[in-house]
Amino acid sequence: MQVVVAEDLFLLRDGLTRLLSAHGFQIAAAVDTAPRLLRALLEHRPDVAVVDVRMPPGFADDGLQAALEARRQVPGLPVLLLSQYVEELYAREMLADQMGGVGYLLKDRVFTDNQFVDAIRTVAGGGTVLDPEVVTKLVGRRSHDGPIARLSVREREVLELMAEGRSNTAIAQQLFVTEKAVSKHTTSIFTKLGLAASEDDNRRVLAVLAYLNS
Amino acid sequence: MVVMWIFMILAWRLISKVLRRFGRWTLMVPVAGMGAALFGLNVWTAATILLALLLAVLLALVLVGWRQAGSSGLLPVTMLGAGICGLWAAASMVRSWGPAGFAVFNAFIVRGQVATPRPAPPAAHQGPVILRAASQAPPNVPRVIVEPRGFINFAFSNRPGNAIAETFARGTARSQVVIIGHSLWWGRLLILGSLLLLALGLWLSPRAVADLRALIARVAPRLDRWTREGNWGILLVPVTSFGLTIFGVRPWTIAAIAAAIVITIRWPRLAADLVPLVLVVFAAYGFMLVSRWVPGPRVLATPQPTRFGAIPVDSAQTSLLAGVEASALLAFGAWLFPRTIGAHARAKADSGHEVELAGRVQRLTETRGHALDAAAAELRRIERDLHDGAQTRLVALGMNLRALERMLPASPEAARALAAEAIETSARALSDLRLLVRGIYPPVLADRGLGHAVRALALDTALPVELDIDLPGRLTAPVESACYFAVAEAFANAVKHSSARRIHLRIEHADDLLRIEVADDGVGGADPDLGTGLRGVERRLGTFDGILAVSSPPGGPTMIAMEVPCRLLSPKTSSCSGTG
Repeated sequence: MQVVVAEDLFLLRDGLTRLLSAHGFQIAAAVDTAPRLLRALLEHRPDVAVVDVRMPPGFADDGLQAALEARRQVPGLPVLLLSQYVEELYAREMLADQMGGVGYLLKDRVFTDNQFVDAIRTVAGGGTVLDPEVVTKLVGRRSHDGPIARLSVREREVLELMAEGRSNTAIAQQLFVTEKAVSKHTTSIFTKLGLAASEDDNRRVLAVLAYLNS
Repeated sequence: MVVMWIFMILAWRLISKVLRRFGRWTLMVPVAGMGAALFGLNVWTAATILLALLLAVLLALVLVGWRQAGSSGLLPVTMLGAGICGLWAAASMVRSWGPAGFAVFNAFIVRGQVATPRPAPPAAHQGPVILRAASQAPPNVPRVIVEPRGFINFAFSNRPGNAIAETFARGTARSQVVIIGHSLWWGRLLILGSLLLLALGLWLSPRAVADLRALIARVAPRLDRWTREGNWGILLVPVTSFGLTIFGVRPWTIAAIAAAIVITIRWPRLAADLVPLVLVVFAAYGFMLVSRWVPGPRVLATPQPTRFGAIPVDSAQTSLLAGVEASALLAFGAWLFPRTIGAHARAKADSGHEVELAGRVQRLTETRGHALDAAAAELRRIERDLHDGAQTRLVALGMNLRALERMLPASPEAARALAAEAIETSARALSDLRLLVRGIYPPVLADRGLGHAVRALALDTALPVELDIDLPGRLTAPVESACYFAVAEAFANAVKHSSARRIHLRIEHADDLLRIEVADDGVGGADPDLGTGLRGVERRLGTFDGILAVSSPPGGPTMIAMEVPCRLLSPKTSSCSGTG
């Protein structure tokens, strides 16, 4: 699996490339600025890009902007954003095109490499992975009205885990229920959120979006 | 001689004692008294003595600062003048003594021998006669009665003192001179007193000069101020007096002059302002007079002759002259207008500006103090957070790793547990730092500016927020930060206290003014004085000359408006709106 790594801090970039190499990813390019990232993404068309949000030259959200630009030119190009902080605003911007293949994680998550690698694979497969911190914040509010209010407590739990990018299997393990039960919950969620039966992955993204927009 | 010497010493001691006790100005009175001795006791000398007394008392009591310099400056001049006069008089006497010696003075002794009735003036005499004594005079020689009122009269007065000079000039004794009221002692005292006065005057002169210098230094600024403020005001009295020539001496013209004097002294500015007005009034009166003499259908009878200024207005020609005079008055008044009223109005406007500036300085001083306090408090908070949070966790992490290192060979299982703990601790440290950073300067604010940052904030807020943001560019970082935390505080208040269902946020920037409105549909009753939050926001905005207004009647709704004067840094499209 081809990966482009974009991170301006050498230690982290080096750590990431080694970690990813160790897990069998092929590093197509490891870049340190946003313009180089955009060039590398358009040139290599990797299976997934791991991108730091704050990068030179602006040291603002240059990485995010480059990733968004790349996705405009290559729709659905899977991008996993890494950052020292998570902003719901940025998550929405990434999800706005409803193409999936989006991840947004705190850099902390790199420590737990299995989770991290799983997230990369999910994103590469067109899934959506949001950092638990974003999800936790979402849980804390927006329960009073909107379509989300119609979900049962269990369904909401499932939706939260979906937003974190878990597969049905992972959700079943987490909630100590059978995979079948989870599948039933997800179908119920899709129905309650008014999502037509279509390709499963895309519906998951839309469900998460509905969750965010609630 | 010895008696004289003792007398002089005693006099000197007395004088110096008085001088030390009361100041040199006290000598004014005796010096003025000497004037009386010189010129005789008449209205003028009495007035001088009174004036000296008055001056002495006034200077002593009222004008403490002026008294030394004021009177002691005049004193040596008076003394020198008096001394010279006295010596001159004495010299005249000595010259007169020439042929007759002390005989003349013997004549002085004959006091009280007032001949009655008074004789004819000396011009009628056939010639002067020196007499040893009136009693010894031959009875057939006509008498000249000299009745001096002072020493000066004795030497200078045309009538009858000149008779003596005349007598001695001719050197022959034809007429009898009887001088009443003086003795030889007066002559001697005159010389003595004159010398004393001269000595005193000379002694005082350098001191007086020094005093005068000090006085000028002290008075000059006041004088300068007075002339600057009321330089045209001094014209009020003469201009008002002009009314006398128009309206004659009436009680009200005199009252007007008196009032003018008072105003000139007490309110020089007002006096200056009144001068052109009075001039214009006089000119108008003049034109009115002239109009009576203008031939036309209105004039049915010949008007009464009057006066305008120095011009008697009794014909069409003279009324023309009066018209010229009135025009001159009007022109002068018009010329004075910008120099008096106009200048004072400008000065007042300037002083208004100064007041405004002073207020601004005051406000800047306050807000600067607040800003410094806030910055210091913020630094303390950051220090505390770092100390209690990330720093402590990193210490724990280090200890864990050290323990891990020790345990690794012995019990790998326990080591694994420790490692998990270490990882957990490091994650918490990172989390703490994230929170801290968010509190110092929110990342989205740094990345994208106020518009996006408040949008992110709206997403984080538990209530739905309607956003209406028109902000076509970035602002300076301090303003963005202050506004961001202001909005955050307003949101937090709405969530915590208002029981509102939704919040409306409006941000717009126009004409270098950033306007932020946060409104909610809650219960209201927000009072900046109750909590520290909004006051803190107000202070923080105050640093940028920003203001905060809260309208929150009980029952709601609450509306918080903020205005901060600021410029956009880069006009780039980053406006966004939506519902969070």
